Amino acid sequence: MDKTWEVDDANTVKAHFGGLGKKVVTVNGNEVHNSRKTVSAKRPIVFSLPDGRGGAIALRPSFMGAPSVDLRVDGHLMVETGKAPIKCAACDTVAKPYDRFCGKCGKPMPSAEDYELRKNVKSATGAIKVLAVLFVIAGIAFFFLTKLQADAALAQLDGMDAAAAYPVPIDGHSYTVGELRKQIAWGPWGVLIVNLILAVIMLALSLWARRSALPAVMIATATYVVVLVADGIADPRTLTQGWIVKIIIIAFLIKGIKAALALRTARA
Amino acid sequence: MPEPGEQCPACGRRVRSGTQFCPGCGHTLVATSGPDPSPVAARTPQGKRFAQHWEELKRVFWVFGLLLASSFVFGIASRAARMPWMDVAEAAVDAIIVLVALALRFRKLAFLFQLRPIALRESAVMVGISFLFVVLASAYFWTIEHAGVPMGSTTGALREAGWPTWAIFLIVSVTPAIIEELAFRGVIQSSLERVFNARDAWLIQAALFSVLHLSPLVFPSHFLMGLCFGYMRRRSRSIYPGMLLHGCWNALVVLEELPG
Repeated sequence: MDKTWEVDDANTVKAHFGGLGKKVVTVNGNEVHNSRKTVSAKRPIVFSLPDGRGGAIALRPSFMGAPSVDLRVDGHLMVETGKAPIKCAACDTVAKPYDRFCGKCGKPMPSAEDYELRKNVKSATGAIKVLAVLFVIAGIAFFFLTKLQADAALAQLDGMDAAAAYPVPIDGHSYTVGELRKQIAWGPWGVLIVNLILAVIMLALSLWARRSALPAVMIATATYVVVLVADGIADPRTLTQGWIVKIIIIAFLIKGIKAALALRTARA
Repeated sequence: MPEPGEQCPACGRRVRSGTQFCPGCGHTLVATSGPDPSPVAARTPQGKRFAQHWEELKRVFWVFGLLLASSFVFGIASRAARMPWMDVAEAAVDAIIVLVALALRFRKLAFLFQLRPIALRESAVMVGISFLFVVLASAYFWTIEHAGVPMGSTTGALREAGWPTWAIFLIVSVTPAIIEELAFRGVIQSSLERVFNARDAWLIQAALFSVLHLSPLVFPSHFLMGLCFGYMRRRSRSIYPGMLLHGCWNALVVLEELPG
């Protein structure tokens, strides 16, 4: 993994994380650190820039995927130089990562913390899209599963008079054979339609999230939690099925809510 | 325009050629007649505002979460033994949750409970919204019923258990109307209005209200209810019009289901 930070006009810091824990840090091409020692938030790589300012590179464990690498110069978090050039959101002029204001229009540029928050919001929006896809897959899968069960149950009711009362009460209710047939036949379609409605809701929310992340992510989180609860009431076994994935999705959504709120309140 | 290697007069930072504003402090570098963009990093400290807004959102999450937990507990319990008194217990637990949340926040919410004279025009608007709502909601339920979708009914269960009509109205019509309005248009919408603009707060509370009813089949109808009742609360700054409409709608539902 390689990271580059343009700290200002005259200083560029590069960090290379190689195999077997190798860590090499260079400032303007000059090596300032080369070791395999563990790096963490509490034990950062410390070095000095040519102008005397203090630099510190720390690894922050991330919830999913690769850990985040932070460079702080005199305590201020630096914006990483990415593959794509940074542009001003207002006038689309290319800017340097270390610019705090756009050189063309004067509007404030996002800070390094803002970029981090935006990443979290993007992850949450991504989680919403993942949910949309999951609901479509679940809808189709459970449709066929439920249809098999429904066909088997309908076969048992074959030949019975529709107006006759079914002898065995279900969930405390007594039904006629006709009513039971209607409920059973509806079963698979109900499952499919419900999951498709949920997929559409998630898709709509992911589109709304592009314009206004916080409301969309809040509603998506509430909807998903409600779906889990409703499934849990219908079949308590579903509570433990795939719990790891469920926890991960909810964690991304909640992180997204906090990040979206932080971005909103920063723009005061 | 400053030459390469020139300094910003405000912060002394070296600036690149062709730059019109100092990338370090935002100071105008070109002689223009426009005002300076605020030279200091134009953000107020985000900590306090974030903390205040986060408190409001946490209040919303708590009320919603506790009501959802109550639905879950009673939902699981009624799988084991379907007894009508569980509906009473659930209504009681929900009432406690909402009344506590309301009490903790009552000073800020007292304005919703003031009785104010209402202008004829406003009354007409409220009646118009009510009429529109009843038409749309009835159309929705008629459609899904005629599409063959099986729908459960609390009224049916209570009637089978031999409950008197006034008790059924109380449990199915009156109590939910009061408690849900206090929760969603009272506590939740008001808290959301402190974080979002009125329109977003309105949409979010309607969405939360609809999903709390668990069944996706009723999401559209209950989203509509949330929108209508929320709009009435926004417009009248009072909890009563929405509560009245909600109670009347629930009563209509009971009346329709009672004959069986």
